[in-house]
Amino acid sequence: MADQSHSHAPSQGVQTTGHVWDGDLQEYNNPLPLWWTWAFYGTIVFALVYWVFYPSWPVGQGFFSGISKVTFINAQGEEESWHWNTRAKLLSEMQAAADLQKPFYDRIAATPYEAIIHDPELTSFVVSAGKVLFADNCAACHQAGGQGKIGFYPNLTDDDWLYGGTFAAINETLTKGRRGYMPPFGEALPAADIDALAHYVLSLSGHAVDADKAARGNRLFHSHQAACYYCHGDDAKGRQDMGAPNLTDQVWLWADVPGARDDAARINAVRQVIIRGLDRGVMPAWEGRLSPEQIKLLTVYVHQLGGGQ
Amino acid sequence: MSASSVATAEQYDYEIIKKFAVMAIVWAVVGMFVGVYIASQLAWPFLNFDNPYITFGRIRPIHTGAVIFGFGGSALFATSYYVVQRTCQARLFAPALATFTFWGWQAVIVLAALSYMFGFSQGREYAEMEWPIDLLILVVWVAYMAVFVGTLMNRKQPHIYVANWFYLSFILVTAVLHTFNNLAVPIDLFSMKSYSLFSGAQDAMTQWWYGHNAVGFFLTAAFLGMMYYFVPKHAGRPIYSYRLSIVHFWALSFMYMWVGTHHLHWTALPDWASTLGATFSIMLLLPSWGGMINGIMTLSGAWDKLRTDPIMRFMIVALSFYGMSTFEGPLMSLKDVNALSHYTDWTVGHVHSGALGWVAMISFGSLYHMIPRLWNTEMYSVRLINVHFWLATIGLLLYITAMWISGISQGLMWRAFDDFGNLQYSFVESVAAMHPFYVMRAIGGMFYLTGMALMAYNVFMTIRQGVRAAATRTAVATA
Repeated sequence: MADQSHSHAPSQGVQTTGHVWDGDLQEYNNPLPLWWTWAFYGTIVFALVYWVFYPSWPVGQGFFSGISKVTFINAQGEEESWHWNTRAKLLSEMQAAADLQKPFYDRIAATPYEAIIHDPELTSFVVSAGKVLFADNCAACHQAGGQGKIGFYPNLTDDDWLYGGTFAAINETLTKGRRGYMPPFGEALPAADIDALAHYVLSLSGHAVDADKAARGNRLFHSHQAACYYCHGDDAKGRQDMGAPNLTDQVWLWADVPGARDDAARINAVRQVIIRGLDRGVMPAWEGRLSPEQIKLLTVYVHQLGGGQ
Repeated sequence: MSASSVATAEQYDYEIIKKFAVMAIVWAVVGMFVGVYIASQLAWPFLNFDNPYITFGRIRPIHTGAVIFGFGGSALFATSYYVVQRTCQARLFAPALATFTFWGWQAVIVLAALSYMFGFSQGREYAEMEWPIDLLILVVWVAYMAVFVGTLMNRKQPHIYVANWFYLSFILVTAVLHTFNNLAVPIDLFSMKSYSLFSGAQDAMTQWWYGHNAVGFFLTAAFLGMMYYFVPKHAGRPIYSYRLSIVHFWALSFMYMWVGTHHLHWTALPDWASTLGATFSIMLLLPSWGGMINGIMTLSGAWDKLRTDPIMRFMIVALSFYGMSTFEGPLMSLKDVNALSHYTDWTVGHVHSGALGWVAMISFGSLYHMIPRLWNTEMYSVRLINVHFWLATIGLLLYITAMWISGISQGLMWRAFDDFGNLQYSFVESVAAMHPFYVMRAIGGMFYLTGMALMAYNVFMTIRQGVRAAATRTAVATA
């Protein structure tokens, strides 16, 4: 080893350290690159400055809070000033957005529904705010465009309303939530009766069915034995005070009639609903999660989606 | 001793290195395949096939575990056992223990993957393994440390080569990180489920103290060790600066320990802790670059080889991406940049420019250098190495470009307000906007995986060629 110490590498004027490993591994003894050294010092200076501006080193039970401040006017109109911290940054940014929104929300709260939809400025605010409120809160069930999903969630873009399509009804639905329920008839009625009822229900919306079975279903529908008319009404047009759907239109929520391949599949889709009933038509209450003004705004937004009444 | 005492294969224990080298390649193929699969699930969700066992949440840790610990870990075991023997001119200390590290480590990877699929996870990123697997890791790791340190102590060279400092720091720090991050109380002796000893912000801080130092010491220091041996060895040139290697080694080791909290900006973590994480990340930039400078300057006298030698290309691209990632990291750790990048795909892109660009590329270069020497032969096809290089580079560029665009778009979309003070985009709109980039990322991954498959084939043919030649030599010798 000693004989090679500080030997010159052939290709470069710099000395190696003189150590050799594994036959030919050596190291030059080049100094630290000057730019590297100064850049390293530069990052240390940067860190020192950063520590002065932001909360940095712990001191005793507390910490040095930095000279940078976050100052903003809060919702109560008072000025708040904090040492720089992420919570205050969030509050101040949220307050800045809320300050922009506030005049519009105040007007929404004070203006009757009919006037809102005829005020171009308020309508564009409803569209701007409603789009994101709907997408972030409602679209998970009712889908991005409010078109719903057969078998799961109602379509909000048609003019069929389970609980009513007036501003007041939609607002109540949003505020308090809804719970759709239909009892199961699978054990209460014999299979032939359920089959007859399914034929009758499909006949109401103009589907081709077995006329004899439909006639028998008609009698059952209006009998005390099956008592369908209690909820769906004598005319089978539904009762909005109970959220019972209209069976005479082409709109289907639970039974996937439009997606059925043939007559037998359509009958079966309706039969399954009668047999099993329904206990999953839950719309959550948004009271407490969204402000009354946001709910009012969403009421207008949903009303405008399709055929509000 | 003389510098010309070239080692012969018989002088060192190569069997254990061969095993780890083969498994590094096996796990790379498996891990990258799973990665491409989950990337494809994000682009085309039908690939979930409504099967809970293959959903993103369960197989994402299989991907990270197989590539980091399976591929990266096996490559590190293989190269560290190779480097420590050759630079110390000593056979491995306690070969039985070394064999145990092989079977133990492979068992860890397999058990971890199975446990994730069946739903057992600590929910700690890159440390999802539940407590029984953690204990096995600890035993394997202590055995590894014993083998490595024992071999160093038996060295016939007065000085410890720089690569070994890096390997040793990696082994030591990983033991400490693993132990403290996984302090947990099992709910029952016969249950996989455990609860962390820490809670709340302290638990999060422990996780990211582990998480970032796993990046620092497992994925950086250890692979710098690999770089410090294979780059000068392959280029046939001395390391550029011994002094720089000392200074950047200690600066890197000191700075890295502090930076984990930059993963927790804009959370419940105290602001002062997050400031320290940010500033130490900035101060880490030049120490990290020390390794890049030393590597590139070492290669700088051998540029002519870049035209003909694809192994050299892997090494120079690895060093370039190392430099790029270690610049991007400190940038992202600044609070205001992080406000944009946090929770977006930018982070995913950053990790992959480090993992695919640095860790995997330097491993490919090192494995291509080492494997023919282990089996005493030449690589089966240099052309295939070249094709692998281009597939990997194209795949990598597609991947990180896609993630930069999608990450920055996400960050900008989430914070956009309109003139009314309303959010301009809903969350789902930002998801929809990501789709083309998720497709691009998946395609990038497919390129990278294809290159990896070529490497597996090339290595298989090389080993077969080496084994056959050895059999012929034995036959001739005994005849």
